[in-house]
Amino acid sequence: MPIPREAYQALESVVGPEWVSEDPAICQGYCRGGWFFMTLDYPKGCMPPACVVLPSSTEEVQAIVRICNRYKIPFLPVGSGWVAFGSYPTKPDMLVIDMKRMKKMMIDEKNMYAIIEPGVTYGELHVEAWKRGLWYVTVGSGSQTRVLSNTHFAGLGPLGYRMGAAGDRRELAYEWVTPTGEIVQVGSASVVKEYFWGAGPGPDLRGMLREHLGAICGGFGIITKMAVKLFPFMPPSEAKFESYGISPTAYIRIPVHRVRWYNIRFPSYEKMVDAIYEICRAEIGAAIYTVPPIFLYQVSTGRVESRTDLREKFDKDREKFKRESFWMLRVLLVGYVSEEQLQYEERVLRDIAMEMGAVSFKEGSPRDHSWIISMDAPSVFNVSGIYNAHAFSFDSIRFTAKVLKDAAKIRDKYVPALYDSADYGWMHFYDYGHTSYGEFIVYFAAEDAPMDKAYGNALMDFVKYSIEAKNYLPRVPVTTPILGPLYQNYHVWLEKIKKAFDPNEVANPPKPLKYSGA
Amino acid sequence: MAVPSEEKISAEGFRPLDEYRYYAFYCNRCGNCKIIDAVYLRSSRFSQICPAFGRYLFDAYSAQGKMDIALAMLDGTLGYTPKMLDVIYRCMLCGGCDVMCKRSFDSEPLLVLESLRIKAVTDGKGPMPEHVKLRENLEKTNNIYGESHGDRLRWVPKEIKPAKKADILYFVGCASAYRRREIAQATAQIFKAAGVEFMVSENERCCGYHMFSTGQVDAARRLVEHNLDMIEKSGAEKVITSCASCYKTIKVDYPKILRKSTKDLGFEILHITEFLDQSIKSGAIKLPKSIEMRVTYHDPCLLGRQGEPWEHWEGTRDKWGSYKPQKKWRRGTYGIYTPPRDVLGSIQGIELREMGRVRENAWCCGAGGGVKQAFPDFALWVAKERLEEAKTTGAEAIITACPFCKENLEDAIEAGKEAIRVYDITELVVQALGEEGLKRTSKEKLLKENRGG
Repeated sequence: MPIPREAYQALESVVGPEWVSEDPAICQGYCRGGWFFMTLDYPKGCMPPACVVLPSSTEEVQAIVRICNRYKIPFLPVGSGWVAFGSYPTKPDMLVIDMKRMKKMMIDEKNMYAIIEPGVTYGELHVEAWKRGLWYVTVGSGSQTRVLSNTHFAGLGPLGYRMGAAGDRRELAYEWVTPTGEIVQVGSASVVKEYFWGAGPGPDLRGMLREHLGAICGGFGIITKMAVKLFPFMPPSEAKFESYGISPTAYIRIPVHRVRWYNIRFPSYEKMVDAIYEICRAEIGAAIYTVPPIFLYQVSTGRVESRTDLREKFDKDREKFKRESFWMLRVLLVGYVSEEQLQYEERVLRDIAMEMGAVSFKEGSPRDHSWIISMDAPSVFNVSGIYNAHAFSFDSIRFTAKVLKDAAKIRDKYVPALYDSADYGWMHFYDYGHTSYGEFIVYFAAEDAPMDKAYGNALMDFVKYSIEAKNYLPRVPVTTPILGPLYQNYHVWLEKIKKAFDPNEVANPPKPLKYSGA
Repeated sequence: MAVPSEEKISAEGFRPLDEYRYYAFYCNRCGNCKIIDAVYLRSSRFSQICPAFGRYLFDAYSAQGKMDIALAMLDGTLGYTPKMLDVIYRCMLCGGCDVMCKRSFDSEPLLVLESLRIKAVTDGKGPMPEHVKLRENLEKTNNIYGESHGDRLRWVPKEIKPAKKADILYFVGCASAYRRREIAQATAQIFKAAGVEFMVSENERCCGYHMFSTGQVDAARRLVEHNLDMIEKSGAEKVITSCASCYKTIKVDYPKILRKSTKDLGFEILHITEFLDQSIKSGAIKLPKSIEMRVTYHDPCLLGRQGEPWEHWEGTRDKWGSYKPQKKWRRGTYGIYTPPRDVLGSIQGIELREMGRVRENAWCCGAGGGVKQAFPDFALWVAKERLEEAKTTGAEAIITACPFCKENLEDAIEAGKEAIRVYDITELVVQALGEEGLKRTSKEKLLKENRGG
């Protein structure tokens, strides 16, 4: 369904004819969302937009949003387009606003933050930050994803152990184009026109706009510029990471006198959790995460040659993992200020590992090192082609550990339709373990994806479990109508806020609450 | 059913689009096809792998976008539009997307992109008019330029006498025979310096690269049959070429279309850099002359990440994406990266400075896939990007191993009036051989006398 001719001409006058298109072939490139949704919803979740536009500045974004309001055209901003929840068009007359032209990045080395536009990727930010003795979190979705949208959504990655979760620590001031096309500066940017702080002195609206019930996928407009906190790393002369090897096992060689990974195995899940507490209490380390055995069977590790090989080898080894209780923790130590700091932290880590009865304590392999820039969610897809995290927890370490253990029992009910990965998901931690994040991953095939098959049945079991256990809500849209009444009718309030900010219902309707196709 | 849960597969490579539905469907939009592997990242400026996406930024121009297009065409929800052909053909088929996808995931983006072009031709919508002209030239004169077939061996220097019978057949290729004769001549000099006899064939026809890469597979097949017959009749045990396009076409596309493996071709196919590397290491070639120059090396896509042998596979795929028997995936791991570098390392005085995007992560030169012919501005933009990256190394020259790469980079140098120079690796080697390897008074005279038709 085309957008009105006058609207198209108006878009052309804003960005130039080269950067707007309604050609069906161009539009088709935006029809499917990322992650597993393309399987769950297909084909009904696959709807090309009516038009695509690529702005190059906040002012162009503002002009485009105003055009949408004038002509009542729903819009969907897209960065990587890989977010799991609704990064695909839901209306036949939708306009996709592709933010990838906006790629400016400015690093304030002295005050340790970067102002970025939506098109900047994690990898690009990392390499520039390293040159200045700074660094940033590496997120699970990989270095090719866009920093602004990912950070604003959640920005989760094991380096948050010291750097904190995104919204609390790393997201500073930003610039926001509201659903009606106003430009609002949030945080320090609103008063002193500097981006160093998100909580003030101007308005702090980060809470309202954050995560999948916030501005993600444009439900509350578009963030066009954001400052993210950077953290001290090592002097650039030390932070030399040379690449070695060749795809798929290419890796970074880290300066091991300042940066080391360790893989530590424990005799039981409980001992591993105890060790995590002790490591966090000692406030050592730059990252900690638990490693389900199937993560080791990725092509990029060199242990398997393909998915077929992965499944053959893992199927053979599965019983061994169950029998021998494979509980592995991976810890990153960084000697930020000196080699001696690293050596001290290593001694503390060894002591803790020995006290907790570790059965092995080894330095990580070269491919492990590469997680410092290249955590690789795409690899996880190679178990069966798709996956989803059916259960999440954002809570204390022990509660998260319990949730994941219980999730495994639910998964086991649906094996073999769900692949038996013989694990309790994986965990990583924020603020020295004051918050723990857990994901329970299920692997399945497309034919088991619909809601009335194994995938859907397991999902509803996880939802019910989460409600009973008072766990973090699964990030699945169907839960909102169920859970709203249980949590002070937050959905009613959210709807009122949405109406106030988006009276013309153009900001990716009906976000943030309802998601189509699920 | 959105995608077949189990499937019997009789062959892969140049198949109809519906046989690649599985790969198109399972694209999860991760974006790896757009950005280089992070472990290779050196700067935010040179972070991309896909030139089409890098230039045009609409997702449709990336492999991910084309997976969506392929699926929609198969479902009948998308027909041909003028932009459709632009999206399909404004792409060098450089394989960057393919290798980046496969570092994490088992898929075949490049096979899908090739099949989209085959479909366009089969449906009577493609290829681009410039590609039709290439085919017409081939049918008339056996070369892509439409020049006399009788001139194909005009490059042979008087002092070089190819043998009537030898173990080695030098497959010259159209570009070296008609446009970059200095490369063919340098190659012949190299054989002479190594003390090996080699044949050339007046029956050689175009390898067919531009037919394969533009979806004109029937025309390509005729060239395949002719050239394989020619090679067989020659009795050659080794076929050596100095063109990366010919190399990949003979090594990969010939067995692919015949449902064979590279090892079943009946001869060994080598690139001149492989021959050089072996000869230098065995002592057959010595390089006494020093060349004081800072250089960077541009990996031709078709020698590097696409230079791995082809292995025919047939079997079944189950709903989990497991293949029986196990399939070997071409991930760019075994491309020809080290031999050219070792050759450069053997030349005294040469200082090799690597760009960030190298080997399987190399940025394309912009010439391949019919882009140079149909979209010369885009081809030039891609080459200019590569030159910008080369300049960051401080190199005085960019060295490559393919006449098409050399031509496009030279065009970009000329267009931008750049100081950096471009050489084929064979030219450097001949210089390093010493005066007896080169009859011209200077390399500039060699370039001037042998450039063009």
